[in-house]
Amino acid sequence: MKGGSHEVSEARRIAVTGIGAVTPVGTGREELWASLLAGRLGFAPVESFDTSAFNVHLGAEVRGFSPARWVRRLDPARLGRASQLAIAAARLALADAGLDGTDPSSSRSAPAGQAGPPPQSPPPPPTQSMGGVPPESAGVAMGTTSGEPLEVERFDDRYLAGELDAVGDEFMSLYPCHMIAAHVARELGFAGINTMIPAACAAGNYALAHAVDVLRAGRAELMLAGGADAFSRITYTGFARLGAIAPERCQPFDRRRKGMIPGEGAAVLVLEPVAAARRRGARIYAEVAGYGLSCDAHHMTAAHPEGEGAVRAMARALADAGVAPEEVSYISAHGTGTPTNDRLEAIAVGRVFGAGARVPISSIKSMLGHTMGAASAIEAAVCALAVAGDEIPPTMGLEEPEGDFDYVPNVARRHRVDVAMNNAYAFGGNNASTIFRKCNGLATDSSV
Amino acid sequence: VTVQKPAIAGRSIMEGRRRVVVTGAGVVSPLGDSPAALHQALVAGERARKPIELFATDAIGCREAGEIRPFDAQAYVGERNLRPLDRTSRLLVVAAQLALADSGCAQPGVPRPAGAVAAEQQAPPAEDAPLAAAPPPAPPAPPAEVGLVLGTTFCSLRTIAEFDRRGLRLGPAHASPLDFANSVINAAAGQAAIWHGLRGVNSTVAAGEASGLMALAQATELVRAGRAVAVLAGGAEELCFESFFGYYRAGRLCGSRRRVAAAGGPEGAEGERPVPFDARRNGFSLSEGAALLMLEDAEAASARGAAVRAEVLGWGAAFAAEGGEAGLAAAVARSVRLALADAGVPPAEIGCLSASASGSPEVDRAEAVGVAAALGERAGALPVTAIKAMLGEGLGVSAAWQAVDLVETLGDGLLPGIAGLERLEPGLPLPGAAAATRQLAPAARRWALVTAVGADGHCAALVLGAPGGPSPTAAVPEGSAEMAS
Repeated sequence: MKGGSHEVSEARRIAVTGIGAVTPVGTGREELWASLLAGRLGFAPVESFDTSAFNVHLGAEVRGFSPARWVRRLDPARLGRASQLAIAAARLALADAGLDGTDPSSSRSAPAGQAGPPPQSPPPPPTQSMGGVPPESAGVAMGTTSGEPLEVERFDDRYLAGELDAVGDEFMSLYPCHMIAAHVARELGFAGINTMIPAACAAGNYALAHAVDVLRAGRAELMLAGGADAFSRITYTGFARLGAIAPERCQPFDRRRKGMIPGEGAAVLVLEPVAAARRRGARIYAEVAGYGLSCDAHHMTAAHPEGEGAVRAMARALADAGVAPEEVSYISAHGTGTPTNDRLEAIAVGRVFGAGARVPISSIKSMLGHTMGAASAIEAAVCALAVAGDEIPPTMGLEEPEGDFDYVPNVARRHRVDVAMNNAYAFGGNNASTIFRKCNGLATDSSV
Repeated sequence: VTVQKPAIAGRSIMEGRRRVVVTGAGVVSPLGDSPAALHQALVAGERARKPIELFATDAIGCREAGEIRPFDAQAYVGERNLRPLDRTSRLLVVAAQLALADSGCAQPGVPRPAGAVAAEQQAPPAEDAPLAAAPPPAPPAPPAEVGLVLGTTFCSLRTIAEFDRRGLRLGPAHASPLDFANSVINAAAGQAAIWHGLRGVNSTVAAGEASGLMALAQATELVRAGRAVAVLAGGAEELCFESFFGYYRAGRLCGSRRRVAAAGGPEGAEGERPVPFDARRNGFSLSEGAALLMLEDAEAASARGAAVRAEVLGWGAAFAAEGGEAGLAAAVARSVRLALADAGVPPAEIGCLSASASGSPEVDRAEAVGVAAALGERAGALPVTAIKAMLGEGLGVSAAWQAVDLVETLGDGLLPGIAGLERLEPGLPLPGAAAATRQLAPAARRWALVTAVGADGHCAALVLGAPGGPSPTAAVPEGSAEMAS
């Protein structure tokens, strides 16, 4: 018989066993991580639309993305770009978790560090091998800011051109944001709970938190959790109008920072109970130790002046994880590079960790820009990788740090990371912090 | 018949978990702005469908929808400045205000609506009460922190599209920063949080027509896990040209069917029949509104003296990864089985069903087949309503409307009929779907089921219980968890 408090707590422990990402600085866990540790920047003049009417021109687009490489079961032409990016990230994550023996980018079949195009392979099976988990127990939780904004843009172009007759059924079958999670699930045959959480720039963390709850409650045995957003003129226009886009560089936490740079991408994490991961011999990057959510209820686009909501989210995450502030060895900052965000975020971190805290803090947005709904999912992947590999990616472009924190300037660092915190803040005053920790030194699974 | 075993064993995860109760609700709909008013209209079979005035329908061969008219948000909120809020946010802010007031959860320090203040000032002072009378009970203290989980499909598609088009027409320097702030899909939830001082968890959930139910489910889990004590949960959706035209072109409105039919005959020959489960249904009627239920930890609600309207006993969700009606029906069945197992209520004990059916030929049938597969023999005698017959398809708000009205049904026993239902589709395995409003027997008013089915594959189910009813874990005989699965 099962039972006992030990087993209950074991069942509530959730592991990250796979990481997949499509980003402006690399596709797949290995390429992304290598780029971030090398401080590679993903910024270039925007190509996906004409920026001549703007006074800023840089973006962080995913270049050379080939949907057909990843979308095998569905018709890639019948998917929005965010769905395509999400499917690619999901396939990479499953392969990384050893749950798809047919994928050439699987870390199980390819030597570490080997990237590049996949060899020609026979047609794949319709659905993924899921390590014995029935499809009904495999779910998807994805976050986004804009869903599939390119589909609204296409509609608007037709609207203004007087060509509404050209609008067919594709608008409503591609645009609604829930289609991102739906497309991932249809492509991979995941028939469990399917949730889209459009919590803007904290959406990745929100989706991760939801997936953790679903697994802890026993409502699924395997979850794909992450975020996706497509580069869009709507987003670019909005941030340009807010004066938030940096003209040349993204320099989070630097005194002379001038703003963020919009980006795009997707990241998906494979989550499963620690006990199940151990049973199948999966590699565990980290354990999701806890999370905390809050709302400023203060302003739609500006954070609370004393970081009030951010403090509550961090404090809740620490309490949920049973971790003291001094045990945190790395903070992945929201760190957009806008003057206001970074200043208020530093205040909030100072209130939780102490003004003189020496915990390393870095912002990968200095390299791949602000990928919106994908951002905190990519940053969650970074936290898991930092925990797994004891390395911290740098904050690039940092010349004159504002304040007294250790922002890991410009060079990656080897540093033991037992616990990593991932902070994300969003329009609407949404705050979400997640915590990852090493999954070792713990009791072995006693229920087998 | 081999039945797929749910991923969870209902009983095992129920032990020791917090109970979740409904302590109030707020509704904005084309058929009423309170749970009681909406229920009365549904019971009377009133229909929300009327000619659209919100936008021009010249380009569309379908001109009716469930538009809320008049919708004067200012009349609810007093003097506060509504200008920064788009229609979706206004619908939500009003629904939240009504739900906070109904549950006694208005947050201290937040500006009160003029109407509420005036009403309090008119109330007789306590000194005027007869000496013999007991002092009036203290009003329940509000929870220290309230969260919000919103289900929506689009938030405001109109705001997003207008923001983009203005930038295209006039140049990006003329796009409105205010519209941009409202263009994110969590904008309404953020605006409502600011308006009402909701500092707890703030989440937005999109799962098509199941969004509102998934929001209730997520809020339930947050309370069960002790992450929140009080959460407003439900949905909001506005009617706008962009989504109406999109669904029209996608062939999903009852009017789109007419357009298709018009190719072979005169326009309107078949009429528009957004009638759930009806043999001649031909699509849904789009609608708009907002609805929120206040979900609270049962012990906390009791401690603060809140009135309990119903209990959320369990939920389940599934996705149709395989397309087609059969795949959708299978996902519906799984979601219902999971909900029953989570609630610990066997199929035989379910008193009535508020179905998701909207008039969509394929989706309605898949729902009926799936529900019947999950409920077995019980499906043959189960009283069924489908309130979209009256309200229309409100997308993100739909399931929240269903839940709000089912709480009313648990209270008075009146299950609304399915207005316009002339002939049930032959062979449809839910024969208890009826045109007339019914009075439920007392035994049928204990546990009720809500289903939400999205055409894109999202399926969810929720079990509600009457307040003060027996805990199903105690009431259900041994072995029934296996029956449920």
